[in-house]
Amino acid sequence: MTDSSQQRMMWANDAEIDEELHEVDMNIAMGSYGQEGMYEDVQSRIDNVALAASMQQQMEQQAAFASIPDVVKRFIVHFHQAVVNNNLEQITAAYEGGWNRLTEKYYAKTEWPEAELIAPLVNDDPIFLILYRELYYRHVYSRLNPDIDDRFHSYENSCELFNYLLNSDGPVTHELPEQWLWDILDEFIYQFQSFSVWRSKVKSKNEDELVLLADGGQVWSCYSVLNVLYSLIQKSRINEYIVATREGKSEEEITEIVGEYGQKPLYRMLGYFSIICLLRVHVLLGDFTLALKVMENVELSQKAPLTRVTACHVSTYYYVGFCYMALRRYPDATRIFVSILNFISRMRRYHTRSYQYDQINKTADRMYALFAICHALSPSRLDDNIVNIAKEKHGEQISRMSRSSIEDAIPAFEELFIYACPKFIAANAPPFEDPEALAAYFQEQTIEPAQRHLALFLSDVRGQGSVPTLRSFLKLYTSIDASKLAGFLEDADEEDMVQQMMVLKQCSRRIGRVSIAPTEGSKNGGLLEGDIITTSDLDFVIDGNMVHVVEATVGRRYAGWFIRNAEHTQRVLDQIRDSPLPKAKAPGAPPASAPPDSSGSTSSKKVAWGKASA
Amino acid sequence: MAATAEWETPSTRPDEIENLVSGVDRYNPSNVSILEDYLYHQTRSNEYDCFANLAILKLYQFNPQLYNPDVVVNVLVKALTAIPFPDFNLCFALLGERPTLNNQDEPDPVPTLLPLLTTLHSHLLQCRYPKFWALFKSSECESLRDNYTVECAGFEDSIREVVIKSVRPAFKKISVERLSTYLDLPAAEVATYVEKLDWKVEGQDVIIPPNQENHIEATVVRENVQFSQLSKIIGHAAKTSAIATA
Repeated sequence: MTDSSQQRMMWANDAEIDEELHEVDMNIAMGSYGQEGMYEDVQSRIDNVALAASMQQQMEQQAAFASIPDVVKRFIVHFHQAVVNNNLEQITAAYEGGWNRLTEKYYAKTEWPEAELIAPLVNDDPIFLILYRELYYRHVYSRLNPDIDDRFHSYENSCELFNYLLNSDGPVTHELPEQWLWDILDEFIYQFQSFSVWRSKVKSKNEDELVLLADGGQVWSCYSVLNVLYSLIQKSRINEYIVATREGKSEEEITEIVGEYGQKPLYRMLGYFSIICLLRVHVLLGDFTLALKVMENVELSQKAPLTRVTACHVSTYYYVGFCYMALRRYPDATRIFVSILNFISRMRRYHTRSYQYDQINKTADRMYALFAICHALSPSRLDDNIVNIAKEKHGEQISRMSRSSIEDAIPAFEELFIYACPKFIAANAPPFEDPEALAAYFQEQTIEPAQRHLALFLSDVRGQGSVPTLRSFLKLYTSIDASKLAGFLEDADEEDMVQQMMVLKQCSRRIGRVSIAPTEGSKNGGLLEGDIITTSDLDFVIDGNMVHVVEATVGRRYAGWFIRNAEHTQRVLDQIRDSPLPKAKAPGAPPASAPPDSSGSTSSKKVAWGKASA
Repeated sequence: MAATAEWETPSTRPDEIENLVSGVDRYNPSNVSILEDYLYHQTRSNEYDCFANLAILKLYQFNPQLYNPDVVVNVLVKALTAIPFPDFNLCFALLGERPTLNNQDEPDPVPTLLPLLTTLHSHLLQCRYPKFWALFKSSECESLRDNYTVECAGFEDSIREVVIKSVRPAFKKISVERLSTYLDLPAAEVATYVEKLDWKVEGQDVIIPPNQENHIEATVVRENVQFSQLSKIIGHAAKTSAIATA
C-alpha cells in the first residue's frame, strides 16, 4: 500500500518534471531543427535555388513524377486511403506486403520517390507524408548509404512524427499496426546508434560534413532521444497501466488511471515499446543497471505483449541477456538466451518468409555466441539442444575457450564478444565545434566504446581464469592435501592455490533469479532482483590444510521432454479433430487401406521396443 | 528478501534520492550537486548506494562539463568495497569518454589513479588479499590514501568485510597467520576481530562455524517441475473436456 502511494507520489513528481522537460529540453530538442541556424540555412538555400530555377525544377519534377511506375502510384494512393480510413488490415497489407514487394521490384538499389513528389497523390496529407518519409529513410538506411542530409532529415522527420503524436491537441485518432509502431521506434534507435557511430569516425569526414556537424546541436543527441522515449512512456502512462493490470484493477479504474492517451492502443503500444527502446539505449551507452531498472514493470513471459511483435521479442531478450552478462549474472543470461533461442528455433518453421527473418536470424546467431560465452564461464545443464547448436555455429571458439591456459582462451572470448556484443556508442560528439580540440581528439586515438567494454569483460574472464583447471582437479578427489593440490598447478604455491580456491567458491555462487515469474506480492519483481544461487555441481571446503570435495549429481530430467511431447500430441490431436471428416466416396475403400497401415507401424514399433528391452 | 534488495534500494537511501534516481529527474544536470553531496555523505558515514553513484556518472557522461575527478575517484573507491558485486566495472563502463580537462592548474588525478584502482580491484576480485594490502600501503598509492580513502570512513574495514565474505564460505578452519595476511591485521588482533563474527580461535587456527556454504554435502538434484510449465497441458485438457461435456 505504502508502495503504491509512494509510486503515485513519485509519478506525480514525474508529471511535473515532464512538463519541465517539455519546457526546457523537449523544446530545444524538438525545436532545434526548425529554429536554429542550420536548417534555416539549408531551407533558405533550397528556397533560393527553387526560386531561381523554379521553372526548370517544375519540369524536372513533372518528368520525375511521370517516371514513377503506375503500380507504385496506385499503391501509394491505396496506402494513403488505408491510413486515412484507419483500416488496420489494409495498412498491414500495404506495409508488410506491398511496400516490400515494390521495393524488390523497383527500388532495390535506389530511393523511393521523394515525399514531395508523391504529395499530389495523397492530397498533401502531412501526416501520411511523415509516415511515408519514415519508410523512405528506413529504406535508405537499410539498402543504400545514407549521407549526412539523409541522417539529418530522418531525424527531422522523426521529430515531426513524435511532435505530432505528443503535442497535438489531445491524442491523435490514427491507428497503426503494432508491427509498424515497433518498427518506428526500433528504427529511431537504430538511426541514433548509426549516427553516433558514423559521427565518431572523424577521419572520414569532408569539409561540408564537419561544418554541418559543428552546427548540428541537438540532432540525434542522447538527451533528445531519451526525451522522446520518456515522453511517450509518460504520455501513455504505460507503467501505471501495467501496474494497474497486474493488481487486477477493473476496466473502468484502468481507463481512469491511464487517461485519454493511454486508452488508445496506439499510445499504449508506443509507450510499451519505448520502455524496450530505453533498455536498448541504456545498453548502447553502457548503463546496464539502469537498462534493467527501466524494465522493472515489463514482464518477460511467453504471454507478455512484447511477444506479439517477434522482432521486439527477440530484441528485448538479447539486450536483457546482455545486461545480465555485464552484471556477471551468467545463469540469468543463460536462462534468457535459452528461452528466446528455443522460441526462435520453433518459430523458424513458420516465419521463414517474414521480411524481418534475416535480421532475427542474425540476432539469434549472436545470441548463440553470447550463450557460448556464458556457458564457458558458468556451465549449466539447461538445454542440450541449444548447446549443440551453439557448438555447430561457434565450435572452434568454444573449444578454444575451454583451454586450460587462460591466455590461450582469451582470444576466443574476445572474438565471440566483439562479434556478438551490442553496437556500443559514445554519448557525446567529438568536439566538432572546436577545431583545436578536434585536432587533439584526432591525435588521441580514443578507444572505441566496444573495446572498452571488451576490456572490462576480459578482466573478469581473467579473474576467474584458473577456475576450470582447479575444478577439473578437484573432480578427481574427495579430499586432498592443500600443498599437494598446489603442486598440480603450474607456478602456484599453496597460498596462490588457496586464493584461487576462494575465487572458485565465489564463481560457483552467483546472483540469480530463482524463479522466472516475479514472486507473488513481492515489491521488487524487477529484473534486477536476485538471490545467491549455486551454479556448480562441485563444492568444497578448506579445513586447515585439507580440501574436502563433494559433488552434486543431477537426476535425469524427464519433465521437459514429457511436457513438450504432451503438448505436441495435443496439437496433433486438435488438428485431427478439426480436420473435416473424410468424404465417404466408395464405401469400404478408405478403411480397407487404413488398417494395414496402422497395424504395420505398430508391429514395427513392437519390434523396436522388444529389441531395446532385450 | 532478495539478496539484491539492499543493493538496489539501500535502506539508508533518503526519499529525496529515491525520487531522484527513479524518475527522469536523474537526467537533470542541475541535480548533480545533490547526488555529489549524497556521495560525500556516504563516504563520511560508511553507507553505500551504487545506484545513486551511477546516476552521477551518468550525468557526467551526458554533460562532460560537469565532470569532477574527485567525485569519480570517490565513486570507484566506494565501489571497491562492494566486491564481489560487479559495481566497480559497472561504474567504469560509464567512464569511457573522459574529457581532457581544460583546467591546467589542477592536474586531473584520474589518469594516474585509474590504473591503480583497477589493479586494486582485480587483486580483490581474485582474492589476492596480501597483494592488495601490499599495493594499497605502498608509496604508489600514497595520493590515493592521503586524498581519498582517508576521507572514506571505515574503508579498510569495508575491505576486511570483503575478505570475510569470501573466507566464510570457503573455510572451516584457517590459520591465524593466513587470515592475518588477508585482513592486514597483526596476529594478536585477529582474535578480537573474529570474535565479533562469532568465530573462535583455537591455538594456531581460527574455526569458522558451519554456515550454509562451508557445510558441504553430496546431493542429488531432483527435477523440479513448475506449475506454469504444465499450464498449457492442463488448460488444453480443461478446454477439451469442456467441449466434450458441451
